[in-house]
Amino acid sequence: MEPVSAKRRKLEHPISSEEVALVAAASTGLSRSRAFILEAEELLGEVKLSYGTALQGVDDLLHRIKGSIEAIEPHETLRITHAASKLEKKHKIRVPFPEPKPADDSNYKVSFAKPTQFNVVGSYVSKTMIKTQKDHGVDMVVVMPGDIFQDKDYLDMRYFYKRAYYLAVIAASLRKDIESVAQVLFEYLNGNPLCPIISVLPTAKTDDSTAQNSESPNKKTSLDYHVRIIPCSSNNLFPKAKLQLGTALLRRGRAEDAASHPTPFYNSTLAAEGCFLSYLRLLRQVEKKCAGFKSACILGRVWLQQRGFGGDISEGGFGHFEWSLLLALLLQGGDSKGHATLSTSLSGTQLFKALIQFLSVTNFGEKPCALGAAVLEQEHAADAGPVLFDSTRQLNLAFKMSSWSAALIHHHAKWTRSLLNNNAADQFNPTFILKTDAPLQNFDLVARLNYDNTPKQTTEDECRGRAWAFSNKLYRILRRALADKELGERARLIYIQTPRHPSWPLTNSSSPPKNQVMEIGVLFDSVNMARTVDRGPPAGATAEEKEECNKFRRFWGEKAELRRFERDSIRETLIWSSTSTFEICEEIMRYILGLHLRIGVAGSDLSFYGNAFSSLVPFKPTDLGVFNAARKDFSVFERDIRDLEDLPLHVRRIAPICPELRHSSVKPPSFGSSKSGPQPMDTVISFEASGKWPEHLIAIQRTKAAFLLMIGNLLEKSKPGHIRTHIGLEDAQCESENVCFLDVIYESGASFRLRIQSDLEETLLERQVKDRSLDQHIRTRATTLLATFRRFYTHLPLHTQSISTFVTRFPALSPSIRLLKHWFNAHKLSCHFTQDFIELAALRVFLLPYPWDAPSSATTGFLRTLLFLAHWDWRSEPMILDTSGEMTAAERKAIETRFQAWRKIDPGINHTVLFVATGHDGTGVAYTTVDGQAQPSKVAATRMTALAKSACRLIKQEGVTVDPRRLFVPSLKDYDVLIHLSSKATKSILKTYPTDDPSRDDEEGSGLTKSRFKNLDERTGQDSLPLVQHPAAVFLDQLNAAYSGSLVFFRGAPDDATIGAIWNPQMQKRTFRVNLPTSYKPAVEQSGEEEIMVEVNREAIVAEIARLGLDLIERIDVKGE
Amino acid sequence: MSPIPATIGDFSVLPVLIPSLPSFPKSVVHYIYVRRNAPKVPTADDSRRLFFTNVPVDSTEVHLRSLFTSLVGAGRFESATFEHERKDDNSEAPSDAQPLHAARLLAAHGNKKRKRDDAEEVAERARDEKAARLPKSWTRTLHRSGSTAVVQLADEKSAEQVLKAIGKLHRGGSSSSSKKYPVWPTTLDAKLVPRLGTSWLKAHNVLSYPSKAALQTAIDNFSALFSRREQEAAELAKRLRNEPDENGFVTVTRGAGRTAPASMTEAEEAKRKMLERAEKKKAEMTDFYRFQLRERQKEEQAELVKRFEEDRQKVFEMRAKRGRFVPES
Repeated sequence: MEPVSAKRRKLEHPISSEEVALVAAASTGLSRSRAFILEAEELLGEVKLSYGTALQGVDDLLHRIKGSIEAIEPHETLRITHAASKLEKKHKIRVPFPEPKPADDSNYKVSFAKPTQFNVVGSYVSKTMIKTQKDHGVDMVVVMPGDIFQDKDYLDMRYFYKRAYYLAVIAASLRKDIESVAQVLFEYLNGNPLCPIISVLPTAKTDDSTAQNSESPNKKTSLDYHVRIIPCSSNNLFPKAKLQLGTALLRRGRAEDAASHPTPFYNSTLAAEGCFLSYLRLLRQVEKKCAGFKSACILGRVWLQQRGFGGDISEGGFGHFEWSLLLALLLQGGDSKGHATLSTSLSGTQLFKALIQFLSVTNFGEKPCALGAAVLEQEHAADAGPVLFDSTRQLNLAFKMSSWSAALIHHHAKWTRSLLNNNAADQFNPTFILKTDAPLQNFDLVARLNYDNTPKQTTEDECRGRAWAFSNKLYRILRRALADKELGERARLIYIQTPRHPSWPLTNSSSPPKNQVMEIGVLFDSVNMARTVDRGPPAGATAEEKEECNKFRRFWGEKAELRRFERDSIRETLIWSSTSTFEICEEIMRYILGLHLRIGVAGSDLSFYGNAFSSLVPFKPTDLGVFNAARKDFSVFERDIRDLEDLPLHVRRIAPICPELRHSSVKPPSFGSSKSGPQPMDTVISFEASGKWPEHLIAIQRTKAAFLLMIGNLLEKSKPGHIRTHIGLEDAQCESENVCFLDVIYESGASFRLRIQSDLEETLLERQVKDRSLDQHIRTRATTLLATFRRFYTHLPLHTQSISTFVTRFPALSPSIRLLKHWFNAHKLSCHFTQDFIELAALRVFLLPYPWDAPSSATTGFLRTLLFLAHWDWRSEPMILDTSGEMTAAERKAIETRFQAWRKIDPGINHTVLFVATGHDGTGVAYTTVDGQAQPSKVAATRMTALAKSACRLIKQEGVTVDPRRLFVPSLKDYDVLIHLSSKATKSILKTYPTDDPSRDDEEGSGLTKSRFKNLDERTGQDSLPLVQHPAAVFLDQLNAAYSGSLVFFRGAPDDATIGAIWNPQMQKRTFRVNLPTSYKPAVEQSGEEEIMVEVNREAIVAEIARLGLDLIERIDVKGE
Repeated sequence: MSPIPATIGDFSVLPVLIPSLPSFPKSVVHYIYVRRNAPKVPTADDSRRLFFTNVPVDSTEVHLRSLFTSLVGAGRFESATFEHERKDDNSEAPSDAQPLHAARLLAAHGNKKRKRDDAEEVAERARDEKAARLPKSWTRTLHRSGSTAVVQLADEKSAEQVLKAIGKLHRGGSSSSSKKYPVWPTTLDAKLVPRLGTSWLKAHNVLSYPSKAALQTAIDNFSALFSRREQEAAELAKRLRNEPDENGFVTVTRGAGRTAPASMTEAEEAKRKMLERAEKKKAEMTDFYRFQLRERQKEEQAELVKRFEEDRQKVFEMRAKRGRFVPES
């Protein structure tokens, strides 16, 4: 081989072009956003609609429609009422005149002439339809000739009357010609009652397509689609200047002042009529210029659709069409100087992100936004609702939107933007995959309003339909009541969902269906919403102040009263009597709507949803106080210990480790219940480092016990009569475990359980784990003990601290956690999950709330956690929570790697099931492993996912009317064995006394001795012993220890009287051996079997359980008996 | 129904009739498997011992005694040892606890602990153990389901008889046979066997809070024992210091000179500090030369490409799981 120089070598290995591309692609950004791009590409491929097969026969249908319309005979001018009645007589077609219908004596003239142009527009031509769309509409515009209109037709709905007549004529012809293959209906274009259109629904497939279908019956070849025929005007029919937002075009029959009132919606609809073709051209141009445009439109369509937005007025009036127009305008020239805001060289995902950014920054619902070089007349635009003004075509793109839908889209865009900026979160799924339009998951309060019963009010202002006029009024009132800046905004968002107007047959006139309901959603500001006293304007002497007060009084009515506050300020005040955030909001809404709109008075036409979940757990407003009192008691306890003078070592730290002391137990901590002995709250204590600990595990445990004895004695001495202490034994399996704890009971009722942390213990255990010369079983035990040690003395104190912090940061966190724990209890899962895991699961939707932001009520917090649990694929994803707020990318990477390693060494997922890592613990198993066992096991985790999934399905199906109790009903029929505990017997164990003789038998002991003891207890005032653990839990632990292999037990809250159990399906018939995992019986012999087999002796096991429980068990149900 | 086999392998099948209880009103049959005791290390008493497997979880010596009485009459049964009791022997007893350095010394020196076989020492050990043991928190412990026990009978003949009696149970008609089965005693006197159920749990709660005096005594006894061991260890160390081993080396032990060797904890601390210092020094030397900088940049670039590849791989894997990229409806 020839020697080659260094230079030469370099030349011989040119970097391939592929590599260059890879490097370029790799350096485009952070890992997460790269993944987002790749995933978005996958999505685009997945949702792509194959036009050839999906929309088969559309072209054919379009041609037939065109032919039919072209064949219509033109006719000369007729009087409008005359023409309409003629049409009705001849074809039984009701002309869909917009309200108010033309008067009988009006002498407007209508005529029909051939359309000047036909065109197919919309997403059919731009090929941006997707598979998952609700309905696939093919839009065909029919341009009406200009000579059937007159110059002044833009006034007083004349244009729309003529348009409606024109449409009716087309409908008559179409019905005649294509009745055989399609159904012809009227509907409103995007729910706009000014613009009726024809909707053609193909009914039966044409002959050849049915033949095809019969050949391949399994394959659905075509989708349900419909063709919409939209009559429109040519671009320059009316001068644009006449259609400005601020002009008043509805003048006839109105009072003088009303006649000068601007009619922006009417004007914009009229302007939009002339813009179809011009927008079609715009979109085509941009499509050609910008390669990523189409995919950005599809991504936008998915994004909008997952959030329930659509072009229809009832869906917010911002759909795919508006999205693509906005994007096109920004690409063409968005800013005031006519320069393009976005570059055409951006890719699809970049365009998508840019538009989200635009929507999140531009709050066009509040402040009009002009696209292009026009200056809006501010004073008129101010009350026109949301304005996105296309200055070239002089049209407000957002004219169908309402203030609340603009606010909602603004919020969604903000949330999505913060997600896209968060490199740590999964950006793709919340943005595109999750469906986020379930009202209960979206809003803290949902109210349903049956507005058919509401008093009719004449809608003077706009011809936009009664529902809209009403909801607009509703919104203004609610906004003033709930989101007033002066009072402090109670609601972050108010949204009103109006019903959709369905299509109707040609022979009828349009009438909105009866019993329609309107849904009002409110998103709380949880701090402000809890306010029970509203301070209005100060009552002063000046005219301005008086005016303010009058305004306030006019709005709030009798509720407003004058009150004197500190520093002698006298203010108009509102006092609300409810206590919880939800109830306050309900009270305000009921009051104010009743006052101004006279609804909700009867109570039947206004109903509220969302609170029912939290009322399942009896949340009391005083709970917060009780939790805080427990914390206070704890600090007293801490001080008492620190004040002890005779302790040989300095106290370094005393930390609480139980849910009661971090605001997250289902029931608030209760002291001094007469029915049960004290249930102490767990705490740990650590001392300054000392070399005096003996270097042996057992000796350390004994020293700790001696220490506890000493602390107990000192405490009793320091506050005689106020404190009593009991030293308790752990149910330890070996001597090197923690063997003792100290229960400290205050006279006030607060009680604490103290365990000592010794640093040396950890060091010794670590050494044992690493020492390869030791026996395997000793090392395994040391590993378990070390994990338990770290859990108790490192993780739980830190966890308690961080949850306590978050509880103050998010007021809704504590009730969400409690509700979630109640759910785990109800489904008998809580004995399989650590409390800390459940808390972290709830915390997750607060820290990574996407696609929303952090929940502001228990219901949303709970439901979104369920959504998360249902979607969490724990087999292939770790849960990473950045509790400290400073996790680096490298740390995340390390956690991810560790997770992959776990899955690789344990592909059956038997040892590490849920992997949860936080800022405090990167190992991922601290919260989900207890005593060396995975908590939960795979079975329990699978069951959790299944239950969460079915809960989410129920919420989706039933909407707001879902009965929350149904989410909490355990399905007992799933269990093989049900052990019903006797609540009376359980209660009798709750209270024990030191004088109770353990060897004496209560049942057989005579009533005399019992009463003697009772008397004694009463006489000496002896206090009962604390509870080591709830008796049912103790019993369950014993059962678990005895039947770890054969039965899996399920149990919920401490007062849950039923234990469910299922047989381990892996315990099959097997050959006999000495160390059987459970009780077996010889199987009935079958011919041909050589060896004698044994099978699980289920009945004997159940009988054993009955013997263990004796009087504790009321009844055991076995499945199938 | 075909009859239950009388034996499985070398085990005899002992069916036991379990009477019904109000909470589970059904009488069922439990099967215990019995054979002669044959441990790996035979002992003298093996001939009069029987090995039981699959004993009920609530078995006690009293239960088994009563079972034997109904099988072969009174006076044959001597004692029973259950699985977990035997295991306890292996696990660390508190009296075994001795300071780590003493254990290490002994191990290092190859000087195996003297076998203390003489009866006096054994008795002393037991006494120490008993004194140092913490009070029990259960009146009765349960056994793992399917666990074993060894029963010692009066003599070899009794063992024979028991096995014979078990064999007899299987003879005769299958329908009537269950009537002959011995019955598991459920109504024993509470004085002999503490009852389970409520009173058992109640007693547990009471027993979990032993009197402070009792606990203090146990702890004191243990401390005395432990410090005695420590003392012994110190003496041993002293002895070893003066005694070269077979290779002629003298072991370095604690308390030899004025500067004692550091304790393990101190040594670990020192090691950690040293490592830290080394780390710091290393950190100072990075990016010192230009080639280091260049190499680092190259590595970063490679890392970037690698991560991109990983992302692509991940997306590819996700695609394999169907439905990941379809928006929910």
